[in-house]
Amino acid sequence: MEFFLNQLLNALILGGIYALIAVGYTLVYGIVKLINFAHGEVYMFGAFLGVVSIAGLGLPFWGGLAAAVAGCALLGLLIEYLAYRPLRQAPRLAALITAVGVSLFLQNFAMLVWGSEPRAFPELAPPGQEHFFKRAFFRAQLGEGEVFIPGKFLFIWGATLALMLLLDWIVQRTRMGKAMRACSLDKGAAALMGIDVNWVISFTFMLGAAAAAVAGVSYGLYIGSQISFRMGVYPGVIAFSAAVLGGIGNLRGAFVGGAIMGIVEVAARAYVCPWLNISGGYSVAFAFALLIGAILVRPTGILGSTAVDRS
Amino acid sequence: MGAIRQILLAALAAFIALPRLAGAGESIKIGVAGPFTGSGAMYGVMIRNAAILALAEVNARGGIAGRSVEAEFGDDEGKNDKAVTVARKFAADPEICMVIGHFNSTCSLAGKPIYKDAEVVQFSPGSTNVHVCEGSDYTFRNLYRDDYQGTFLANYLKKALALERVAVFFDNDDYGKGLKDAFVKQAGAVGLQVVTVQDYVREKTTDFAPLLDLAKKGDAQAIFIAGLYAEGGAIVKQAREKGVKTQFLGGDGLFGPGFTEIGGAAADGTLITTPFMFGPSSSQAAKDFARRFAERFGREPDTWAALTYDAVTMALEGIRAVGTDRNDLRDWMAGHDSLEKGFKGITGVTYFDANGDCLKPAMVALVQGGSFVLAPKQME
Repeated sequence: MEFFLNQLLNALILGGIYALIAVGYTLVYGIVKLINFAHGEVYMFGAFLGVVSIAGLGLPFWGGLAAAVAGCALLGLLIEYLAYRPLRQAPRLAALITAVGVSLFLQNFAMLVWGSEPRAFPELAPPGQEHFFKRAFFRAQLGEGEVFIPGKFLFIWGATLALMLLLDWIVQRTRMGKAMRACSLDKGAAALMGIDVNWVISFTFMLGAAAAAVAGVSYGLYIGSQISFRMGVYPGVIAFSAAVLGGIGNLRGAFVGGAIMGIVEVAARAYVCPWLNISGGYSVAFAFALLIGAILVRPTGILGSTAVDRS
Repeated sequence: MGAIRQILLAALAAFIALPRLAGAGESIKIGVAGPFTGSGAMYGVMIRNAAILALAEVNARGGIAGRSVEAEFGDDEGKNDKAVTVARKFAADPEICMVIGHFNSTCSLAGKPIYKDAEVVQFSPGSTNVHVCEGSDYTFRNLYRDDYQGTFLANYLKKALALERVAVFFDNDDYGKGLKDAFVKQAGAVGLQVVTVQDYVREKTTDFAPLLDLAKKGDAQAIFIAGLYAEGGAIVKQAREKGVKTQFLGGDGLFGPGFTEIGGAAADGTLITTPFMFGPSSSQAAKDFARRFAERFGREPDTWAALTYDAVTMALEGIRAVGTDRNDLRDWMAGHDSLEKGFKGITGVTYFDANGDCLKPAMVALVQGGSFVLAPKQME
């Protein structure tokens, strides 16, 4: 029982982080129909900016988080302006290849700036003291084992939920959201209605990048180490799959897809692989098998049907 | 950069040239191969100094049968193509009766067929790759091969620490798998219960929570990490945060400052195998060597200096016993096939299996306050 509850906690953390990254894929796809393969690297930059501003500049955690969000939003803006905007009228394949190039560029840039050695996430409390994030918020003894929820889990769940609600509100309820939905339907018509299409697209990239920054800092906080220039590649692929699984272009779908990917990965690692007596490395294969199965049944993804074009 | 390079080259040239001038004619020559320049130069300097010290001590006592001994240093830069060049040069020089080296496993492997064809012994004080001694009767080493650490740690857990249940996390590559297989096999032999064996993928697996929960579920008293320091540091850090209080053990992939930088305070208490280590409980012979080394070179010797010193000393003893014939020396080396017949050096007793792999017990280092010290409990 205690083992099951712990796996549920692991899955919800991982699912939340995948969902936060998936949002960036889905928002951008919804508006410019581009799979932004550099998005995993934005997530990596978020983690690094958090680490550098906390460990290097001595900012408190919230300051580091804010710096990461601001830095990544700016990065998202720059990527769109420098790499994708010139290709807006080019064939979609050109933008896709460019996205791969931007991804490689950002990885190597991060390696040159921050080095190739993995880094640890800085300690948030002075030695001898325990930061709220590490202290038990909840602790229960169940038989021989225990379920232990440190404060940082609360932060990650809280941040995920709050961001999801905020993004949903922006897209559905604000003028900017209305403009985003309009651009998604028909950019030409939206421009004729007086919408600044370029600004809307920039804004969308910034929103996705900001969510990825929160995901990057959250994951660094969660695992506590292994902040490296390659850390974005793998979660990037998983989150992209999550966005497709949920229905790419659909914001709520990204949330659902991320949660499912997290749950399947942890369940496979903790239950299915030991049961089948196979390497735990196959846990991802189960997640992808589910993705393929779901796409076969519903090619537009779980929540993807008509909502696709309305983002 | 240019200036540093020139100084290094000049120093190297001096080291190669000096013994030549000194011993002209009738001296006995051995080859010493290692990474004297390049990224492994910090190892190279230890290897060269240890060899110089061992030779100087024998020469100070009158050499061997009235002849002085000298070394020819071959710089392989830690690269296998350079290692081939060095090996060809040593093999073609009939005066060289035995080769100490190479240091990097990749260099030892590259030189192996050349030394085998020339029927000259290569005796490595640093290569731990599993395959180094395979397929050549002329290749020996005086430290464990990688997977032996797995065997050793299973014994150590059961006999020295008296623990019963262990979980194994391994890096899914050759190094990790070799270590894991040897560990699990030996655990079965000594009656150590392996509660779970979990693999991870380097740089891809970053969240170890499910693995740690599986170890906790099996009530493991210890977790053996068969992998490298980045993941090792992450595992101990995540474990302590989750309140997992098991003993951690690892192979020498965890040995190094990276492990303590990433693991932080959580790294403390981890036990890690190392071929040899200096510490307060070192033997008198090892302490004497460390003092003589420090007096001569102005810095403390490390593991590799000690192993090189032992290798050179053993080679010289062989020359004293059977002369300078390459094949006689090989047979003399291979004759050290049991603990009783082994060569007693400062790093322990060196003896070989049929392969040429060394059966000397490993030592165990303990992480304490962010640095590595000799663990109080060692195996006999």
